[in-house]
Amino acid sequence: MEAERPADATLPLSIERLTVDYGERRAVDGLTLAIRPGEIYGLLGSNGAGKSSTIRSVVGLVRPRSGRIRVFGFDTAVDGMRAKERIGYVPETSLLYEALTPREFLEFVAGVRRLDPAGASERMRAYAQAFRLESELEEPIASLSSGTRQKVLILAAFLHTPHLLVLDEPLNALDPRSVRIVKDLLVRYAASEGRAVLFSTHMMEVAEELCHRIGILDRGVLRAEGTLAELRARAAHGDATLEEVFLRLTREDEGLPAAVALLEGS
Amino acid sequence: MGWRDAWRLSHAPLTEVSFQAIYAFRQGNLLPPGPARSLAPRAERRTALSKALVALVLATLALGASLLLRVGAARSPTLAAYALPPAALDAGILTGLFSLDVALLWWTGLQVLPTFLASGALPVLETLPIDATTYRRTAAIVYLRLFDIPALAVVVATPVFVGLALGPLAGLATIPGAVAAVVFALALSFLTGRFFVRKIQGSRGGGGRTVVRWAHLLLWLVPAVAVLGFVSAGPVFFTLLGRAVAPGTPAILESFEAAFPFPLALIPALVATGASGIPLAAPEAFELVVASTGYVLLAVYAAAWLLASVPATTQIPPATPRPGPAPRSELRPQVPALAVLTKDLRTASRTPGYAFLILLPILDSVAIGLVTVAEAPSHAASQNLALAAVVAAALLATFFGPAFFSIEVLGFSYGRALPLADRSVLLGKASLVVSVYLLAGLIVLGITLVRVPAPATFVAFVAAELPAIVAAAFLELGILFRWARTRGVPVPNLYAGAWSALLVSLPGLAVAAAPLVVYGSHGLLAMAAVSLGELAVGAPLTLRRRGT
Repeated sequence: MEAERPADATLPLSIERLTVDYGERRAVDGLTLAIRPGEIYGLLGSNGAGKSSTIRSVVGLVRPRSGRIRVFGFDTAVDGMRAKERIGYVPETSLLYEALTPREFLEFVAGVRRLDPAGASERMRAYAQAFRLESELEEPIASLSSGTRQKVLILAAFLHTPHLLVLDEPLNALDPRSVRIVKDLLVRYAASEGRAVLFSTHMMEVAEELCHRIGILDRGVLRAEGTLAELRARAAHGDATLEEVFLRLTREDEGLPAAVALLEGS
Repeated sequence: MGWRDAWRLSHAPLTEVSFQAIYAFRQGNLLPPGPARSLAPRAERRTALSKALVALVLATLALGASLLLRVGAARSPTLAAYALPPAALDAGILTGLFSLDVALLWWTGLQVLPTFLASGALPVLETLPIDATTYRRTAAIVYLRLFDIPALAVVVATPVFVGLALGPLAGLATIPGAVAAVVFALALSFLTGRFFVRKIQGSRGGGGRTVVRWAHLLLWLVPAVAVLGFVSAGPVFFTLLGRAVAPGTPAILESFEAAFPFPLALIPALVATGASGIPLAAPEAFELVVASTGYVLLAVYAAAWLLASVPATTQIPPATPRPGPAPRSELRPQVPALAVLTKDLRTASRTPGYAFLILLPILDSVAIGLVTVAEAPSHAASQNLALAAVVAAALLATFFGPAFFSIEVLGFSYGRALPLADRSVLLGKASLVVSVYLLAGLIVLGITLVRVPAPATFVAFVAAELPAIVAAAFLELGILFRWARTRGVPVPNLYAGAWSALLVSLPGLAVAAAPLVVYGSHGLLAMAAVSLGELAVGAPLTLRRRGT
């Protein structure tokens, strides 16, 4: 069943009043945000703030309790297939078919996405070379290091040149060279026509360096949103780093010296 | 720290193994609904239930053996026909029981070991300040406790039931055989399981290596085929035993008596009947004493080896990239349903539990086909045996749905993030089930062409059952999709989800069996009509809601 595409079909992602529950625990509470074409949007938050739950809802892994998610106008609850066709996803943990080799896994992904063999092969070769993965393409994924698995996931996410990249802590476990490549890729990718990136991270300096806009999640609620300058203004902290802004807006800085003092005394 | 501390320390790793086996979070499963604090106890309960089911089967086998011992040759014309001395007959029955115990426990161990190693439950302890001796003891206890209820069922039920049939002393005399069976099964499980985890799960990609992997996987089937073989080859075994114990037997046949577990099975039989129960020449008696002592010593050695080896292999060793020929650098994407089928076959080629399901009906067909050629006295008997092989393949096929669906659970999170329609998954999995069934039928046809030169009836029978196999696969997968969407699906390995797998398989079994029952009473045309009817009703219902 394909729903009629609404007027905001050029908007890469819009989330309206998203609520996600796990049993009795509320992970996301009435989240509303939108990502514009060409934008890199960073989701920041403490552990358990709801970043991964938001991302999993966008890619269809979690069924929200309520709310609406649209990817280029396609409602994920109604027309999830169309939405997924446009998304490239890198999960937080290396969730792969462990018994396959990276090449077999990519072949499966290419088949499901109905990709042209020549183009998909070309992209696989290029990314494998860039990430120095060639010698591991025929090793079972179960035997690969977490950094190598992460590279495989990144390769799979880019294989179909998606319109929306959704990345959950994408730089986890990557070596510095690969981190640099991914960061450059994201910047170039978002700059290309109509595309956008949503990613979550704990690395404040990465968010500061890459993101056009940042959303700060705290216990499932979007506490603040905007460019770094806007967030600084909101935190009334003119030349602060993103870390300082984050701690102030989430009130995580309260009791911080006392916590450190407690540890020093232990 | 002593054994008591090791026992206490073993609780957490055991809970972790159960937890990983049931919920497979490391493979990407999501939290099921309900309070999170109840998950670990629930996993432990489910694991205990699955172990109890295996124990029930083992206890039932012991009960069945004791009933056979009780009936004996005096009241059973079938057993009397073998004309065996009383002690030889009893020992033969107990040999069957011990062999089945070894095979079933071994097979269970093979299913459990990959989860045990992949859970990483024991290496966590290595990071804590626990001395090496306590760690070794803890690892050994964890491994032994994976088998606790089934192993206890063998060690307790065997003496009890045999004691009821042959007397308390004979019951006690079964203990060495029962304990040896358990120890050998646990050691074989570990030895072969470790080998397969290293050689199969760690095998690189590429065509030639796939063939080698499938060849290795045939070995994986040894215990399962042993169960099947012993059940179907029981009469041949008793005939051979009769020849072996007869006076003036050639040495090669006499050595048959020394094979495990016959010498240990003979001890309770001799306790029950006395020395007159079997005529033994002095060298033969000496050989049996040496053999039984040897098996007891071997069991002691196996137990010591197990205690030393388990702690040294508590996780899959990390592989380093191996130099080799340049990998294939092209992708050959297939249409989604075929991509699912290929992925499943590749997964099965590195996952013995799945490969087992594919190979079992095929080997079963080979075995029955060969028996048909060798033993069936008439054309009609051959035809019936060939049909029986297809019936077995058809019924076995109904257990594939839940198992193959669990491959999807293993990569559940990533698979669900892809634009992969349920219909494609369903068609891919159903194709695999149908392929295995047809291959099994083809093998039987090929082998039995010698005996059944006019195979039209056989081909028609295979074809008539085919729609029912498809309908059964659709039904099972339809149920599983519903479960997966509403409450998540546990990985159905033997300990983890036997119960769930059974609940899904039973409706499938009914659908697959219905045409076979109709064939018995109304013939081929009625069978085909029922089979087609099931597919006509089931397919639209299942496929309609599964997207494109």
